[in-house]
Amino acid sequence: MIKTIVKKDLKLFFSDKKSVIITFILPILLISLFAFAFGGIGSSEELIKIDLLIVDLDKTPESKALQQSLDSIKGINLIATTIEKASKAVIKGKYVAVLVLQKGYAEAVKTNNAIPLELKYDQSREIEVGMLQAVLMEKLMQKLSKKAITKNIANYLDKEFAGMAPSMKNKILTGALSDEYTEQSSFVNFKMTAILKVEGEKPNYGLIQAVAGTAIMMLLFSIAEIGGGLLDEKEGGTLKRLLQSPLKPREILFGKMGAALIIALLQLLVMFLFAWIAFGLPIFNDIISLLVLIFAVAFAVASFGIFLVSIARTRKQLSGLSSMIILTMSAIGGSMIPLFAMPAIMQKIAVISVNYWGIQGFYDIFARSLSLVELLPRIAVLLGIGLVMSMISLKLFKKNLLKLV
Amino acid sequence: MIQVRELSKTFGAFKAINNISFNVKKGEIFGLLGPNGAGKSTLINIMSSVIKADLGTISLNGIGLSTHTNESKSIIGIVPQEISLYENFSAYENLKFFGKLYGIDKAVLKKRMEEILKLIGLENRKNDLIKTYSGGMKRRINIAAALLHKPKILLMDEPTVGVDPQSRNQIFEVVEQLNKQGVTIIYTTHYMEEVVRLCNTIAIMDNGKIIAQGTLEELQNQTKSNDQVEIVFEEIKVEQKEAIIKEFSFPITFQNNKMKSTCDLNKILTYCVRNQIEINGIHQEKVTLENIFLELTGKSLRD
Repeated sequence: MIKTIVKKDLKLFFSDKKSVIITFILPILLISLFAFAFGGIGSSEELIKIDLLIVDLDKTPESKALQQSLDSIKGINLIATTIEKASKAVIKGKYVAVLVLQKGYAEAVKTNNAIPLELKYDQSREIEVGMLQAVLMEKLMQKLSKKAITKNIANYLDKEFAGMAPSMKNKILTGALSDEYTEQSSFVNFKMTAILKVEGEKPNYGLIQAVAGTAIMMLLFSIAEIGGGLLDEKEGGTLKRLLQSPLKPREILFGKMGAALIIALLQLLVMFLFAWIAFGLPIFNDIISLLVLIFAVAFAVASFGIFLVSIARTRKQLSGLSSMIILTMSAIGGSMIPLFAMPAIMQKIAVISVNYWGIQGFYDIFARSLSLVELLPRIAVLLGIGLVMSMISLKLFKKNLLKLV
Repeated sequence: MIQVRELSKTFGAFKAINNISFNVKKGEIFGLLGPNGAGKSTLINIMSSVIKADLGTISLNGIGLSTHTNESKSIIGIVPQEISLYENFSAYENLKFFGKLYGIDKAVLKKRMEEILKLIGLENRKNDLIKTYSGGMKRRINIAAALLHKPKILLMDEPTVGVDPQSRNQIFEVVEQLNKQGVTIIYTTHYMEEVVRLCNTIAIMDNGKIIAQGTLEELQNQTKSNDQVEIVFEEIKVEQKEAIIKEFSFPITFQNNKMKSTCDLNKILTYCVRNQIEINGIHQEKVTLENIFLELTGKSLRD
C-alpha cells in the first residue's frame, strides 16, 4: 500500500513540469550564482578588485614608475583622474579612496626624505579602506624602501668608515638589499585623510548590512505573497465580481499595490524599530531621510510584487517565480553578503537589483551620514523602478485579464 | 429591455457563441437552458462586460453595452456561477464592500443591506463569517451582493448549483419576489424544472447556438414529440395488446391493464373505440423540455 502511494505521488510530481524545473533547476542556478558571487571570499586577489583613484601631482618619471608599479597589483584597479573629480567621486560613494602623489615625490625619493603620499578615503567604508591600505603598504614598501635603505647605509659607511675599501662597501650594501630585510622596513608611510567623515559614534557596518540586507529581502518575499492575493481572488471567483462592477482593471491592480505599499511601509518601520530597540541602530539620527528612503524602497518593492503577480497565472507559478527572482536579486544586490566582498563583475551587475539601491541608501544614511539632498539620486532610482514596474504590470495585467477569469 | 443581435465569440478555434439573437421583455424572467459547455456562462460574461464579443451587439434598456459600459454596469446585477465572496469576511462586510464599488451612499447602502438580508432570510447571520455558512446560505449572499445597487436587470448564472432542495426553493422564492418588484431576469441553468417553474420565456442553447426559444407551450407545440400518455383499460387480452403494438409505430409498454406510450392520443382512442376495447382512465403528460432538447440536439440535457 505504501508503495502505491509513493508511486502515485511521484507520478503526480513528475507530471508537473514546472514543479520539476523549480525543484531541480532552480537550486542549480542559485548555487552557480552564489558560488560566483561569494567566490570572492577567501579566494585569490584576482576575484576581488578594489577600484583606486590616483592623482599624480608630481608628473615625473619617478611618479609614473610608481603608478606602473601599483597598476601591476592584482587586487587593485588603478584609475587616473584629477583631484576635483576624485574628491567628488569618493564623496558620492562611487570609489573608496584616492591616492595622491604630491608634488615633490621624485625629489623625496632621491633625497631620502619623507615620501609625500596621501590616501584620501571614505571613512564609512572602513573595511575596504583597510584592505586597500594593506595592499598599498606592501607594494610601496617593496618599491621605495630598497632605495632609501641603500642610501642610508651608504651615507653611514662614508661617515664612520671613510677609509673603507669600495669592494667591502659594495658587499655590505648588497647584503642590506635582501628582500627579507627591505620588507621588514617601516620606512614608507603615507598620510591618511578622510574626505568623507563619519560623525559621532562609529557605525556598526555589520548591523547595517544585516538589517538593510535582510529587511529588503524579506520584504520582497512578503509583498509577493500579498500580491498573490490577486491570484487567490481569481481562483476564489471574487476577481470576476470585481471586473463585473464599475471598477476598471487598473483600479483593481493599483488598489492591490496600494495595500502592498502600506504593508511594506509598516513592515520596514517595524524592522527598523526593532533594530533600534534590540541593537541600537541609530534610526533617529536623520529620521526624515530614513522615512523618505523607506517609502521609496516600499514603493519599489510593492510594484515589484505586483509585477510578479501580473506574469504568474497561478499561486504555484507565483511561488516558483518569486523564489527564483527574489533570491537572485538578493544575492546580486548585496542582501546576503556585502557588495565589496563580491567579484567586480557582480558589483557591476548589482545595479539591476532593487536590493542594491535600497541597501546602499541605508548605508548612505547610517554609515555615511549623507543628507536627504545627497540621497535623492538613489531615491529617484527606486521611485523610477517602482513607476516602470507599475506600468509594465498594468500592461501585462490587462493583456492577461481574459486568462485570469 | 434586452436586445442581443448576432452575437459571436470565439476562443482560438473554438466558437463559444455562434451568431445568437434574442430579446428579453421588461419584467420578464428569461430562461437560458442548456448543458454544460453550451455557452451560457460565456454569454453572461459578455453581457457583464468581463469579456468582449467578437461580433454582434447587446443593448440594455436602450443603452449599447460596448459604447456605454459603465452605464450598463450600473443597471445590471450579476450573480455568478461561482461563490464570489470573501470567506474571511462576514456577510455584512462582503455586502458593504461590494456596495461601495457601486458608489452607493453610506446611509443608503446600510438601509439597502438590511432590506436585502431580510429578503434572503439571513438578517440574523449577517455578522457571521462566510466560511461558516452552508452552501445554500452562501448562494443567497451571492445573490444579495448583486442586488445592492438596485439593478433593473439581473443576470443569474446557474445560481442553484450544488444547493440542497430547501435552499434551492428559498432561492426560487427570492427570484420570484425580485421579479414581482419589476426586475428583468436572465436565468441560466441546466435544470429544466427550474425554467419550467420560473421562466416566462425559454431559450434552449447548445454548442453556442440558440436552437429554440419561446414560452414552454410554444416550444411544446413546435416539437414533433408526442405527449406521454397513460391509459388504463377495464380489461384487455394478450392478443389485443399484441395487436395494438403491431398497429402503432411509437413505443408502447403494458403493465397489466395499464398502457404507457408517447403516442398520438386521438389515434389510440379511435383504435380502441373501433375494436371495442373499454377504457377506464386516461392520463396525459405534455412533452417535457428534456424531450424537446433530445429531439432538437439528439442528446439528453444531462449528457
